[in-house]
Amino acid sequence: MTDATPSALSPLAIDVRGARYVYPTGNVTALGGVDLQVKPGEIIGIIGQNGSGKTTLTKLLNGLLKPTAGTVIVDGVDTAKKSVQEMAPHVGYVFQNPNHQLFARTVQMELEFGPRNIGLSEEEIAVRVAEAVEFFGLQDYIEEHPYRVSFPIRKLVGIASIVAMRPPILILDEPSTGQDHNTTHVINGLMRRLRDQGTTVVCVSHDMPLLADVVERVIVMKSTEIIADASPREVFADKTLMARTNLQAPQVTEIALQTVVPLGGPVALTPAELAADIAMRTGRPAAARTDAVG
Amino acid sequence: MSMQAALPVAMIPGNSIIHRINPIAKLVWVVGYVVLAFSTQNIVVLYSMALFALLLAPIAGITKPLLKGALILVPVGSSLLALQIIAPAVERPWTPVGEIGPLTLYGDGIYYGFVLLGRIVASLLLALVMVMTTHPSDLFTSLSKLKVPYTLNFMLAMTLQLIPVFQREVGIIMSAQKSRGMKGKGFSAVLPSFVPVFVGAIERVQQLSISLESRGFGSNGIKTSYRQVRGRPSDWVIGIVGALALGGLSAYSIWRGTWNISSDIVFSPLFVVVTFVISATLFFGVVLFAVFLSLKK
Repeated sequence: MTDATPSALSPLAIDVRGARYVYPTGNVTALGGVDLQVKPGEIIGIIGQNGSGKTTLTKLLNGLLKPTAGTVIVDGVDTAKKSVQEMAPHVGYVFQNPNHQLFARTVQMELEFGPRNIGLSEEEIAVRVAEAVEFFGLQDYIEEHPYRVSFPIRKLVGIASIVAMRPPILILDEPSTGQDHNTTHVINGLMRRLRDQGTTVVCVSHDMPLLADVVERVIVMKSTEIIADASPREVFADKTLMARTNLQAPQVTEIALQTVVPLGGPVALTPAELAADIAMRTGRPAAARTDAVG
Repeated sequence: MSMQAALPVAMIPGNSIIHRINPIAKLVWVVGYVVLAFSTQNIVVLYSMALFALLLAPIAGITKPLLKGALILVPVGSSLLALQIIAPAVERPWTPVGEIGPLTLYGDGIYYGFVLLGRIVASLLLALVMVMTTHPSDLFTSLSKLKVPYTLNFMLAMTLQLIPVFQREVGIIMSAQKSRGMKGKGFSAVLPSFVPVFVGAIERVQQLSISLESRGFGSNGIKTSYRQVRGRPSDWVIGIVGALALGGLSAYSIWRGTWNISSDIVFSPLFVVVTFVISATLFFGVVLFAVFLSLKK
């Protein structure tokens, strides 16, 4: 269960209309008139080069920044009228570097911090923390100091500390940065499971294979604007778009585009997909991979 | 990054005459200013110094940031004046000039209050002008030309350069914790905001020392700098004129026994009362504003 209560303002999870953001110092436009509608339970990725406005957009979503024009309604709440703290029950924001938020003496206490801040009862806090521990598989670490666990676990603790607040909308900033393949894989799976539980997931990332694997919709940003909003398949197959934004489709998609796509094959997003198509064409079954994503 | 907690005293890039003066020449002026400010009690000299520093700001194109940086003087200066009026730092007997509620106001301390304020204002304004117009690297390059050991230079440079880095870091950490519903005030906000800052600082210093050593920090030899600093004839003139003028005035002040001209200036009781009211109002205004900010969500 989530606390999703889309009110009268908007039935959408995220409803951004004409949002602009100009930094007060130096009149730098960081976001120029953006529209974005996301339905509850969607899982979207935001891509674009550094400085394209991705982070500004996500910061508008949880009220860390207020739009200088336009409206940003998240979980039915107008972010311009609420403080970040008031937005916390509505939208969770996982920062890129877990070291920027961990401070408590134990992982357990770290996870309790958010739920306590939003004023839940002790019983409810215990339930949510236990659930987050279970969900993220942190059972072995709850008594550890957050800085003493390995970086990948720290990252999970960081995400868990937000998820324990059960925000109906979860924003992840670069969840796979500095993570090994395994942890990325785990985070992938968690994002999907959260989506399955009804959480709207927004993932900002440069990790194209991760996005190709997990999101259903990709928002492409360039020079402070959204220039494309489509399925990962459409986005990654669009060579001009990729070239314009200096982005690179996942290698497997590139290979598919150069090989099977001209033959009528799929714009593969995962190795498994491409392998299946090749197997079908050659009549030889693909060798099973133990780490196949899924 | 979003939380550009811009340091109020960071360098403002530019190419004005002031920017182009050799850092050592500027340093001579700042040191000279401090020496003169603390060797004289002549308010005409002190406020002329402050005015001179202030006049440099438009030339350097830093008027706005300078005034912003100088705002720190409002609570300092107003408390200083108000205190000197109710509790003069001079020998009794004091002459009362008025009463406000339980407070008795005296005229004796006001001159000294203005002296103290003038010292701070003059030194701070010129120091701000220097910091805002000098690239830290240039300063340290120049200092190393004067054979100041480069490890010392480096420590100074790092201290200056890490401040904006940490400010940015604090901004990110505050954002992260606010996103978790932290109220951002009171004792409960201390641990969540400071633990990550300190841990981050320690990690950063560790990384820095490793990366420095891997690049040969501490090896022998003459250090060169990427940034070249020239000492033009005009810089020599500015430096020498500064040293002579400020040094000369300091010497004269000391010879005149702090050059105190308080006996030549009579502050009317009304002036004292008005000064007290204004400075006390400013001081409590600042305090109330700070309280208001901290209580505001």
